[in-house]
Amino acid sequence: MKVDMKVDYYPGDTGEFIKVDEEKCTGCGDCAKFCTRNVWVKDGEIYRPKNLKDCAECGACWNICDFDAVIFGEPKGGTGVRFEFG
Amino acid sequence: MRTKFPTIRRNEKRKTQPSQNITNNKKDDLSMGNSEYDIIVVGAGCAGPAAAKKAAELGLKVLLLEKSQKPGEKNVSGTCLNMAALVDPDLQYLMKGPIEREITEMHTYMITPERTTMMRETPSEGLILLSVRRDEYDAWHTEEAKKAGAEVKLSTTVMDIIEENGTITGVVTDSGEKYFGKVIIDAAGVNSIIGRKAGLIPKRKGDKMILYTILNVWLGEEVVNERFGNSIYYFLGPNTQHKTWPWIFPKKDVVTIGTGGYMDDDLFKGDIKSVNDYMQNLIDLPIIKEKLEGGKVEAWGLHLEFDEEVEKRTKDRLILTGEAGGFVIPFLGEGMPEALFTGIYAAEAAAKAIEANDFSAEFLEEHFMSRINENVFMQSFRYIADLNKKSIMSMPDQEIAAMMQNVVIGGGFISNAIHTSWMKGAEEDDMGLVQDAKDFYDLIQPYRQVGSESVEIYKKMRAEK
Ligand SMILES: Cc1cc2nc3c(=O)[nH]c(=O)nc-3n(C[C@H](O)[C@H](O)[C@H](O)COP(=O)(O)OP(=O)(O)OC[C@H]3O[C@@H](n4cnc5c(N)ncnc54)[C@H](O)[C@@H]3O)c2cc1C
Repeated sequence: MKVDMKVDYYPGDTGEFIKVDEEKCTGCGDCAKFCTRNVWVKDGEIYRPKNLKDCAECGACWNICDFDAVIFGEPKGGTGVRFEFG
Repeated sequence: MRTKFPTIRRNEKRKTQPSQNITNNKKDDLSMGNSEYDIIVVGAGCAGPAAAKKAAELGLKVLLLEKSQKPGEKNVSGTCLNMAALVDPDLQYLMKGPIEREITEMHTYMITPERTTMMRETPSEGLILLSVRRDEYDAWHTEEAKKAGAEVKLSTTVMDIIEENGTITGVVTDSGEKYFGKVIIDAAGVNSIIGRKAGLIPKRKGDKMILYTILNVWLGEEVVNERFGNSIYYFLGPNTQHKTWPWIFPKKDVVTIGTGGYMDDDLFKGDIKSVNDYMQNLIDLPIIKEKLEGGKVEAWGLHLEFDEEVEKRTKDRLILTGEAGGFVIPFLGEGMPEALFTGIYAAEAAAKAIEANDFSAEFLEEHFMSRINENVFMQSFRYIADLNKKSIMSMPDQEIAAMMQNVVIGGGFISNAIHTSWMKGAEEDDMGLVQDAKDFYDLIQPYRQVGSESVEIYKKMRAEK
């Protein structure tokens, strides 16, 4: 059996609930390292949450960032990740 | 024994604080506008519905806000409810919820290249845990809060708090709606935006935060019965976790597998690039592989768990409950009973504040924490887990495996905690530590006696359902 990241999403626009603070990002890559869903992608000198549609909303990137460069908000009501079985 | 509504019924002298000039409005008070409430509860996981239900029962006008379309669909958990907590009169009604499986046993596997050691524990004649699925259970619990009179809004995300003169007076939702409350109960979980905006929840990592992943594997009820029965399973094997304890908890026709690790520098190293790699190694262990044969991955999940105390749980007009307030038992990772208890206690403290017209952080803290401090379940489990976590965090992985052989969950954890204090006291000639251990031993006696009578309560509640 292979680990399959089978996860659902509600339809609808979540809004840009995770952003990078370009001024603060040092490009250390901890956000990408601790992201299980490959949301964070290197773009020049810094990282950006380019694959936000794949986000599982765990908040590891915000917690791990030593430079306060992750702006971590909330998806709009009734949108975003949905876990079957809870 | 406690009376049913100890807080609001008591005739206490009202403390009046001239600076707090919000009147004591009640549900039927017409002076309260459409967007004004006594209490606003954010989050319908474990703590939220418990708080909203209790507040409604105390006669307060309550609003419960939840961002998912159906409560529980944004939550990830192992989902075993501890019966030692549910027998508390405050929590007994929770036995009436949708239950997947009644757990009566635990198995612990220690797997090394040389051998596999298995321990089977049948701790008492009572039920030990109730296995639930959160997308059903939280939804049911939210309905119970609604039945009690709470207003519920789903698909509603709280984006911000409203502050007036440095005091939190309400919340703003994703659609820009504003709701005002005399007390805000934060039940929005580990990364709560309310607690963060209020400055009470900082960023956390290292030995304070665990990154967990789960896998729900469908096997069908018959196969689950046959291979897992009514037991939960803990495993300790090579490269399958980072200072946590992987598990399999059976539901009705699905089993939930969980693993992960503390978010320190060693979480990812060597071949381990993600928590999914720990999971893959875990389900590849021959003993597990065999049990999952023919199964199908039904759903995956990812969640953080903070397992230290949050420094401050209250601010003027705000109380943090459940995971938002750091009410999770360290190392054991149990947080549902703690969330349920603290939700109820927060509602009671808020009711007291309204009664006394005192919404200060100190007043809320005093009435919230006094109930927590007298809760034997919460105190003893924190004590046990704190001690166990300390000894485990300071050990290399190989030593943890060795220690686990002496520390079986339940009875083993308790004796390890007592033993650790006692021995340290004896070694260092510190009678205080020995006395601590002895006091603790006395304290947990009621918990140890939870046995057949819990089954009686359970049967009664199921019959009333
Ligand atoms: C993998 C794993 C396994 C676990 N296993 C167990 C176990 O077997 N037994 C046990 O007792 N504990 C277990 N726990 C711990 C337990 O799940 C948590 O402690 C418990 O769920 C905390 O309850 P809560 O109500 O505080 O928060 P949550 O259950 O996280 O609920 C928070 C709710 O708030 C909502 N919300 C969040 N932000 C907003 C917002 N801004 N606006 C509106 N709504 C919002 C969320 O959608 C959610 O419904 C486990 C945890 C994990 C991660």
